[in-house]
Amino acid sequence: MKANIDYIRKIKNPFLLMMTLFLCLCSCEDLLEPETPLGQIEQAYVFSDENTATAAVTSMYGKLRDQGFISGGPSGSGYIFGLYADEIDYYWLPGFPVEAVYLHQILPSNSTIQGVWELPYSVIYSANAILEGLESTNELSNEIKNQLRGEALFVRGLSHFYLVNIFGDVPYVTTSDYTENSTVSRLSINEVYDNIVADLLESKSLLGNNFLSAERVRPNSYVVSALLARIYLYRENWSKAEIESSNIINNSSLFSLESDLNKVFLKESTSTIWQFKPQFEGENTSDGEIYIFSDGPPPFSALNPDLVQEMDDNDLRKLNWIGRVSTDTETWYFPFKYKENYFTSTSVEYSKVFRLAEQYLIRAEARAMLGDITGAKQDINIIRNRAGLQNTQTESIDELKNEIIKERRFELFTEHGHRWFDIRRTGKANEVLGPIKSGWKNTNILLPIPESELIMNPNLKPQNPGY
Amino acid sequence: MEIKLIKVLEIQANHLSKIIARTILLLSCTTIFGFSPNPLIHQNPKITIEHNRKVTIYEVLEIIGKQTECTFIYQSNIFKDLPKIELKKGTIEVNELLKQCLPPADYSINTTKDNYITITRRISNAFQQGNIKGVVTDSLGMGMAGVNIVIKNTSKGTQSNMDGEYNIIAHPSDTLVFTYMGYKSQEIAVRNSVMIDVVMHADATALDQVIINAGYYKVSDKERTGSISTISATEIEKQSVSNPLAAMQGRMSGVNIIESSGVPGSGFDVQIRGRNSINAGNNPLYIIDGVPYDSRSLSNMSISFGVIPLANISPLNAINPSNIESIEVLKDADATAIYGARGANGVVLITTKRGKEGKTKVTVNSSTGFASISRKMDLLNTKEYLQMRQEAFANDGINEYPQTAYDINGTWDPNRYTDWQEVLIGGTANKQNIQTSISGGSEYTQFLISGNYQKETTVFPGDFSYNRFNVNTNVNHKSNDNKFKIFFNTGYAIEKNNLPKADLSKSIRLSPNAPELYDEEGQLNWENSTWTNPLAQLEEKYKNITHTLLSNAVLSYNLPFKIETKMNLGYGITRFEELYTSPHTVYDPAYGYDSSSSSMYKQNNEIEHYIIEPQLNWKKSLGSLNLQLLLGTTFQRNNTSRLGFMGQGFPSNYFIENLQSASTIFVRNEEETIYSYQSYFSRVNLSLNNKIFLNLTGRKEGSSRFGPGNKYGNFGAIGAAWLFGDESFIKKNMPWISFGKLRGSFGITGNDQIGDYQYLQTYRVGENTYNGNIGLETTRLYNPNFKWEVNKKSEAAIELGFWNNRLSLSAAYYRNRSSNQLISYALPATTGFSSILANLDAVVENKGSEIELEAKIIKSENFSWSISGNFTASKNKLVEFPGLEGSTYANRFVIGQPLQIAKLYKLKGIDPETGLFTFEDYNGDGEITSVEDRQYIADLTPKFYGGISNSLKYKNWGLDFLFQFVKKDGYNQFSYSSLPGTMQNQPNSVLDRWQEQGDNAFMQQFSTGANFQAFLAYSQFGQSNATVSDASFVRLKSLELSYSLPLKQFPNTSCRISLRGHNLLTFTKFEGGDPEQTTGYIPSLRSMSLNLQLQI
Repeated sequence: MKANIDYIRKIKNPFLLMMTLFLCLCSCEDLLEPETPLGQIEQAYVFSDENTATAAVTSMYGKLRDQGFISGGPSGSGYIFGLYADEIDYYWLPGFPVEAVYLHQILPSNSTIQGVWELPYSVIYSANAILEGLESTNELSNEIKNQLRGEALFVRGLSHFYLVNIFGDVPYVTTSDYTENSTVSRLSINEVYDNIVADLLESKSLLGNNFLSAERVRPNSYVVSALLARIYLYRENWSKAEIESSNIINNSSLFSLESDLNKVFLKESTSTIWQFKPQFEGENTSDGEIYIFSDGPPPFSALNPDLVQEMDDNDLRKLNWIGRVSTDTETWYFPFKYKENYFTSTSVEYSKVFRLAEQYLIRAEARAMLGDITGAKQDINIIRNRAGLQNTQTESIDELKNEIIKERRFELFTEHGHRWFDIRRTGKANEVLGPIKSGWKNTNILLPIPESELIMNPNLKPQNPGY
Repeated sequence: MEIKLIKVLEIQANHLSKIIARTILLLSCTTIFGFSPNPLIHQNPKITIEHNRKVTIYEVLEIIGKQTECTFIYQSNIFKDLPKIELKKGTIEVNELLKQCLPPADYSINTTKDNYITITRRISNAFQQGNIKGVVTDSLGMGMAGVNIVIKNTSKGTQSNMDGEYNIIAHPSDTLVFTYMGYKSQEIAVRNSVMIDVVMHADATALDQVIINAGYYKVSDKERTGSISTISATEIEKQSVSNPLAAMQGRMSGVNIIESSGVPGSGFDVQIRGRNSINAGNNPLYIIDGVPYDSRSLSNMSISFGVIPLANISPLNAINPSNIESIEVLKDADATAIYGARGANGVVLITTKRGKEGKTKVTVNSSTGFASISRKMDLLNTKEYLQMRQEAFANDGINEYPQTAYDINGTWDPNRYTDWQEVLIGGTANKQNIQTSISGGSEYTQFLISGNYQKETTVFPGDFSYNRFNVNTNVNHKSNDNKFKIFFNTGYAIEKNNLPKADLSKSIRLSPNAPELYDEEGQLNWENSTWTNPLAQLEEKYKNITHTLLSNAVLSYNLPFKIETKMNLGYGITRFEELYTSPHTVYDPAYGYDSSSSSMYKQNNEIEHYIIEPQLNWKKSLGSLNLQLLLGTTFQRNNTSRLGFMGQGFPSNYFIENLQSASTIFVRNEEETIYSYQSYFSRVNLSLNNKIFLNLTGRKEGSSRFGPGNKYGNFGAIGAAWLFGDESFIKKNMPWISFGKLRGSFGITGNDQIGDYQYLQTYRVGENTYNGNIGLETTRLYNPNFKWEVNKKSEAAIELGFWNNRLSLSAAYYRNRSSNQLISYALPATTGFSSILANLDAVVENKGSEIELEAKIIKSENFSWSISGNFTASKNKLVEFPGLEGSTYANRFVIGQPLQIAKLYKLKGIDPETGLFTFEDYNGDGEITSVEDRQYIADLTPKFYGGISNSLKYKNWGLDFLFQFVKKDGYNQFSYSSLPGTMQNQPNSVLDRWQEQGDNAFMQQFSTGANFQAFLAYSQFGQSNATVSDASFVRLKSLELSYSLPLKQFPNTSCRISLRGHNLLTFTKFEGGDPEQTTGYIPSLRSMSLNLQLQI
């Protein structure tokens, strides 16, 4: 270096001097270490601060709301399985991947199904990354850590719940390590459920009984109970289903059925257990956006007229929750639970994920199966009476069970795929869809694992039967 | 030079006998070293002249001899022509007196310490000849080596040396002729000059530009060791294209360019010598006047997708092709290694035009033309279509047409017919272009200013256009002593592109009896919500505005010892603004939307980049060995920023482009990224006897795209050339070989074409805001360890010229192997992401042969015809991929096969019983399953490609045309189609279908999809080898017919009128529309234009 400078002095040329200086000054790696880019934050910082850690958790809800399996939009189970079952008819452009869902012409390469598979796993990744981030930090209080851990476990369980009901055996992913996750194998349905229940029980123990916000937009322990109740119902663990649903129903200070059907889907509804807050103030729900139309024939989709016909003409839900558009010759129906299809000055409706009526129906079914006919009838009548219908006259368990499934259809239509999961779990899919869907096959009880997944991870083989 | 002993005829000396032996020796020395004047006498005594008088030279010598102790030795006749000399009274130094009597130009005077002075006439010849010296430089002031300098009408001549210096002995009445291939030859009369410096100007009319820009240095084509293809302004100017890449199509071996869409202002796919990287970038490096130009599209996929394929907008659109002096493509390791990693996929050097010494010239170019799609698909007419539909329902056993089968159930008029290709993409686009430039300058300072305006409309219905405005200025200056030089260049371009949001070619398969586009009131017709009017898409607009500033300066200073210091400074900024408006009118009114549902997306992106490159050049001659050394360093930084908004809900669609009017405004993204780059590079060039050349380049470079410890990589190359054509055995035995060169190279380059910051584990602010919290989400899967991709290139080539280079030929064989593949490793969705960046121990090989040929078939005063052609046959192969079977690529790649393959079902034909397609059951399990039975490998890599161009001239007429050819397979019209029988139009070829048992046909039975087996079989057909067919083509890519007006009364004016065509004719077997790109977007258009060029 010194020799260099002497040499420069001898030459006394400004050009050379300048260049040598450049060479000396800049030959360090610092130049190549740019600062963290704008809009990004290093992982370690995220979990050193309550606000950023919380933002990481809530962004999972943002994702679920906008593009996830419980979104009210076109990627949500409500729409996709509404088409797949007997709730919604397709009127949009021919040839779209989602039309294949309606026609039961699903191929393993169908991009709609690809999304149904991918989205839960991308949310599961976020949940796992959050769990690991929380594990590695010492800078958050235990209270916050527990709250966020509880939420992440809940989301992980919820996502796997949808996967297992759609695809059957699926991998249960509990790490963010891609080397492990890219070669995972599928677990049996029972094993998946065991994992889900374990996650949810821990989550329930970590989350408090109060809502973090008055708007019920972040889950608390009752939200976990609501999912557990549904899971126990699906698993036919009747007594536990009854316990969990009772846990919610009994807390009447927090939850009560809205007697006015037009208030059920408003954001302040007291029958809400968990709902999504829209992204913007003034925005309402995707459900309203995709279903409501004002002119026939329907541009996008319409409610299956059979569903409407099956409902009692006195059923207030038929009057209040179903919209209709008529021309001289024809009438079309659409789900009208959410009344707003666009912006309002302040948001009026939030998209519901869990609501109290489902818990009554869960408990009714659990009680019926446990032989508690009276209790079951009590619960079902609460729902019927609110819809302006008489008490049920059924006395046998089998009939009661059918009655409940029917009641679920009328109460929960186009909400998160309830109808499909109901006819599926009760073994009625063949009977219901066989006659009305020309593409229906027995094997359609499960959707195919996306082709590209099997290609990239042969451990996921074999493909579900029929694809 | 031969040494001759000169006989002394007469000696006027006092001590003759003593010195006679030495004289011979001295004389011979004189003859050898006579060029360097020596001081006459060391003491330089004075002599006294007593009075004024006129004397002869002999008397002068006698006077000097008497007064000093000097003895003169000279040939008796050398003073014969000298006039008498007037001596004035006084004293004068001997040197001075001799200088006055004997002009140093003509006489050489030498002395020894013994006071013997020899006087010789320079070359003792009866004619008065002298030594002429000078320097030959090019227009940039660089010394030109190897320029031939010949005395006119003789065979005497010499060549300039490495620095452009030359010496020649010539008579004042002689004329020197300076010639160099590719440059205008110059004739300069010697007269009384002793120093003649010459500036050589590139000859724009020569077919090959012979000085080649190799990036950090220039090299003559003759002496280059690397593989470089080039096109010059002459070829570019004859084409009516708006992007420089389009001008290169079909003209360079090893360079495959595909226009990704015929929509004006979109992009190109460029591959130089194949695809090296499995999925890191395969883009070449673009350098414009020494400044790297970021070739990444700034467009946001979610805004431009639909009309711009893959949001690929070529930033090179900002460069006006007619501003380009030359484009060089560096291909092998020798040429590219000086660019290190960035050169792995080849380097494209673009040099813009500069001002030239001479009269101030004004040039005006104007062109106007039109364009349309060149090929259409043959689709069914209404009758055939409805017949297909009826048959489909019948086959499916459906007797009552469903409510939504509007085309056939009577809702739509069964007698309507619309040729949707004609209506939607059959329009005529207009092209207009006007350019003016002023250039000129003195010997020391030259300038050029040019401006250009271009407008191009689209083939879509509606008022859409691409507009571009360019200004370019440059100044070149050198100091009087030639030591300091500066070049400054700046270019500014504004592009405005106004397009529909969707490429309407996606809608050409509408039912041919679909309803009217407009109702009686001239409003869009939605036919009671029974269809989506394709023109509704035009309600949605896509607009972009690009501002591009590119500026650079090169300063250089020559130090003693032939060291040149140089500083290259570059700055550029591209501001890109794009807008997508979606008014509620794009939707069926049945939705009941109003302008509160209208939305707009706006994205403002910017790339700012600068580069600083100090360099040192050193030249040294050691006898027959010449040495050139280049040392330099690069600092480069690119700052990219992005800011995107969405606005929703407008009081009226009138305000839809105004974000402020939106009732909800949402910031979609804001980010800023920095890419910095630093490297040291050096080049050593050795040449022996100007016949053997050795070139060594090395580069150590660091990139911010790699994590700590992996930032730096070392790259280098060696190249050599042997000009065997100059060897005497060739000259003697094969005189028809006028040029012969063997060259070869080997080297290592790398690749860092991955995104920025990929090694950081971060969360980013995403769109999932919730409950007052920002949406923080993991940016990527985290891998801190990835490293540079390594690309080893080798090449061997032969270049030959025959019959005075009337025919020249070069053939090269190359093999590139890239390993340590830096790839975005595709992952199953169970990982939460679709990929991770990692190094993979896979090896990809590209090898091939390239041939370039040029023939000047006829060259006479009135008529000339030359042909040049290029041909490339290449092979891409995945050589190694350890663990491929267990990897996520198991079904995408096959060892031994190219990267661009598709694994498909193999169509066996139609089962005559069922009328359905059947496929090869590779695993023999009786079922056609998606992974196991997709074993047919379709190779989508071009097998060979090239072009043949012809240039003919007859008097004032000129005809230039290029045929481009490509041999390849591509996806055909069935790869994007739905089941024949559904509500979509189909190619005519579906009419050859199965109708009843026993039929054998091309197409299976028509079905509406209600027959699931038919639906399944067709969807397998859509992924079978039947969707790949021969997409080879021969295309008349460009044609120009020109006429230069004879303007004898205006000697400095030229006027040229020409008719140009682009993509005029296409010969192909391909049935699915245009064979060049078969991705379903508007193909490259066919255009014609009329051009006028005026130069004053």
